[in-house]
Amino acid sequence: MKVLGSLVALVLLSGCGLSAQTGSASGKVPVVAVENFWGSIAAQVGGEHAAVTSIIANPDTDPHDYDPTPQDARTIAQAKYVIVNGVGYDAWAAKLLDANPAPARIVLTVGDLVGKKVGDNPHLWYSPSYVDQAVEQVASDLGKLDAADAAYFQRQAADYKGIGLKSYHDTIGAIRQKYGGTKVGATESIFAYLAEGTGLNLITPPGYLNAISEGADPSAADRATVESQIATRAIKVFVYNSQNSTPEVQGLVAKARAKAIPVVSLTETMPPARATFQDWQTAQLKDLLQALGG
Amino acid sequence: MSMLGLEFMRNAFMAGGCIALAAGLVGYFVVLRNQVFTADALGHVAFTGGLGGVLAGLNLLAGVFGSCIAVALAIGALGGRGRGRDIAIGTVFAWVLGVGALFLSLYTTARSAASGTLGVSVLFGSILGLQPAQVVVGSLTGIATAVVLLLIARPLLFLSVDPEVAVARGVPSRALSALFFVLVAVTVAESVQAVGALLIFGLMVTPAAVAQNLSTRPWVGMALSAGIAVAVVWLGLVVAFYIALPASFLITGLAFVLYLASHLARRMSRIGRLA
Amino acid sequence: MPEPGPSWDVVADIQLLLQFHFMQNAFLAGTLVALLAGTAGYFVVLRGQSFAAHMLSQVGFPGAAAGVLVHVSPVLGLIVFCVGAAVGIAAIGREVDAGQRLESAAIGSILAFSLGLGFLFVRLYGGSAQGIYAFLFGTILGITDRDVQLTFAVALVTIASLAAIGRPLMFASVDPDVAQARGVPVRMLSLAFLLILALSVAITVQIVGTLLIFALLVAPAASALQLTARQGRGIALSVALSLAFTWLGLALAYFTNVPVGFFITTLAFVFYLAVRLVKTRRTVVAPA
Repeated sequence: MKVLGSLVALVLLSGCGLSAQTGSASGKVPVVAVENFWGSIAAQVGGEHAAVTSIIANPDTDPHDYDPTPQDARTIAQAKYVIVNGVGYDAWAAKLLDANPAPARIVLTVGDLVGKKVGDNPHLWYSPSYVDQAVEQVASDLGKLDAADAAYFQRQAADYKGIGLKSYHDTIGAIRQKYGGTKVGATESIFAYLAEGTGLNLITPPGYLNAISEGADPSAADRATVESQIATRAIKVFVYNSQNSTPEVQGLVAKARAKAIPVVSLTETMPPARATFQDWQTAQLKDLLQALGG
Repeated sequence: MSMLGLEFMRNAFMAGGCIALAAGLVGYFVVLRNQVFTADALGHVAFTGGLGGVLAGLNLLAGVFGSCIAVALAIGALGGRGRGRDIAIGTVFAWVLGVGALFLSLYTTARSAASGTLGVSVLFGSILGLQPAQVVVGSLTGIATAVVLLLIARPLLFLSVDPEVAVARGVPSRALSALFFVLVAVTVAESVQAVGALLIFGLMVTPAAVAQNLSTRPWVGMALSAGIAVAVVWLGLVVAFYIALPASFLITGLAFVLYLASHLARRMSRIGRLA
Repeated sequence: MPEPGPSWDVVADIQLLLQFHFMQNAFLAGTLVALLAGTAGYFVVLRGQSFAAHMLSQVGFPGAAAGVLVHVSPVLGLIVFCVGAAVGIAAIGREVDAGQRLESAAIGSILAFSLGLGFLFVRLYGGSAQGIYAFLFGTILGITDRDVQLTFAVALVTIASLAAIGRPLMFASVDPDVAQARGVPVRMLSLAFLLILALSVAITVQIVGTLLIFALLVAPAASALQLTARQGRGIALSVALSLAFTWLGLALAYFTNVPVGFFITTLAFVFYLAVRLVKTRRTVVAPA
């Protein structure tokens, strides 16, 4: 009974919390981003002419079990502009969109924008070039919805790329220049696009990266390869996802440390404590640069 | 590279063998007592419980073990036998899944959880990714479960095969049933984190079903069930080492082939007897 | 954004509930699924096949993965696997032992094996599997107009087929031995019922999700069977409860912002517990 009582309390609490939702203040385009990292980017491009709401902070869920709340559905139904990641990462959001047709709404599916299809690595926000493409698209979409401020959005986007993301691109450039081609290892496919962007040579078997990302079972051969890459110090740096640190991942991290291979941790999604997408990414990139040798 | 030169393969053989032993023995009674549905439900309970534990700020293990044992006992209390139990499990099970949906929704939107270091996948292990500590805990739990089960096997067998006579002869049916439910819950809760929900379910059910098809003598059946469970795990691991197929598929697949074969054999022998 | 808050004005509340297209569709599809599941669920529970219902709600997904792998529609794979599993249970489970033991062992073995196959297909596929699965799990809040039409067709076909075999199926479920002796094709009926169940589950699962279909198949009928032994009334009660849980669950979820599945399953569970409690009291009091 006590459990039930606290559940009811929990339910009521979460209800109250959510109903204090950011409203569409007059003159601002109501924007909904399914994931918080795209939300952060949209908020900076939209500036004072967009009101951005992000739905989930932690999409690390099994689509088997994820059941969106009516608040999610309402938020999406009322948005003029919706950003979804796509590539199967947030398919439930696409369903919510289809259930609520609205001719005036614009939907940006980042996966479609960059030409990815289901089955490809969905962690698009880890690719510097895809991020740039998304920034431009957000600016032009917002301009369509609010023609009076189209020039403003273009300026914001240019500023964001030139100033906001400067340190992010600079750090990537520094890694590419000094350490391009360096062999590195990782546990998950979240790092794959970033390895491409920084020119690092990610030698972990792709099957292994996918399997760990999805909680599936990597093959014995792939495991043996990963273990031997650590044991023989074939990799300069080992990168793991701290939001998915299973005992197996922790075991590999310990082995890498024992072999004096520098270890870098990434997070799949933006920790809400961090202010912006670029702060989050740049801090991680600086750790990576440091680990590679500075 | 030799198979046993790799630490993760040695871990898998060792812990996988011990867990299979326990699963085979416990599973024999699960099938005999017609509690397969309970075993399946508990795998899902582990998910809800673990997530609930994390949300409440408790230990993940406390959530997994606590919820598995509590639900197993609740099913025992609501159940009875036959259709009544099927209904009770179904209803409890559906509710547990619903609560899981709530927890997951809270988990994905809660700010504190999102910055944490825990993904939902932490709840489910895989047999080739066992860590040294898990090997020790998994092996010891497996062996301990097997020993406790063997200690209560005689009265439990009596109770399972002929409950009325057993109760009349003074077998403590409630206590024994409850203890058995706890054993099932502990086996599932422990193994889910070590080898994953699918594998433990497969190891509890299929070898026992094969054994039931092959022998009606209980002690032979128990030995067969445990032996087959251990054999398919080890064989599956060997094949998985040489062919890049998932170990869980190979192990459940081997067991399923044996199951089909035993079913055919049973049918043949019936036809033979009739003719 | 209009603040969703229930008042005591029922008409206003209902207007609030139905102001969005997705909620209208959720109520429409929810009603159809409740009708379907309330009817089929009565037989599921009467025949002690909750486990089979659960298995059918899960077993199709490896099939969907196989569909993606060989470039056919995933839904086709889903249906093939569900139907295959239904035939498998019917073939292995019922034949030797009249009891339930072999059936549940058969269901368990088939379930474990097909989930293992799922792992295999994902491995063979090589890409990100999340994408394959994600599109296959429906959610009641994400139902399109086309989904509503599809659900309508499935509900119609399922209820019509059940009505067609209802009388002998009831006989065969309640007393298989006598039915067999009177010449009722018990095994054929068993297979037919599982096939109907498999097809309707395979299609509805990708519209409303596994949780909802499983919960509605089992929980309302469980309470109905506790409340009345009469068959016509039982089915009517099962359907009524199923509708009530679905509508109330949708409304409660809408005003409190938690997943719909939580409220529907909780309502069903609490109701079932209450029924059990009242019945236990009565049986305790009655002899005294």
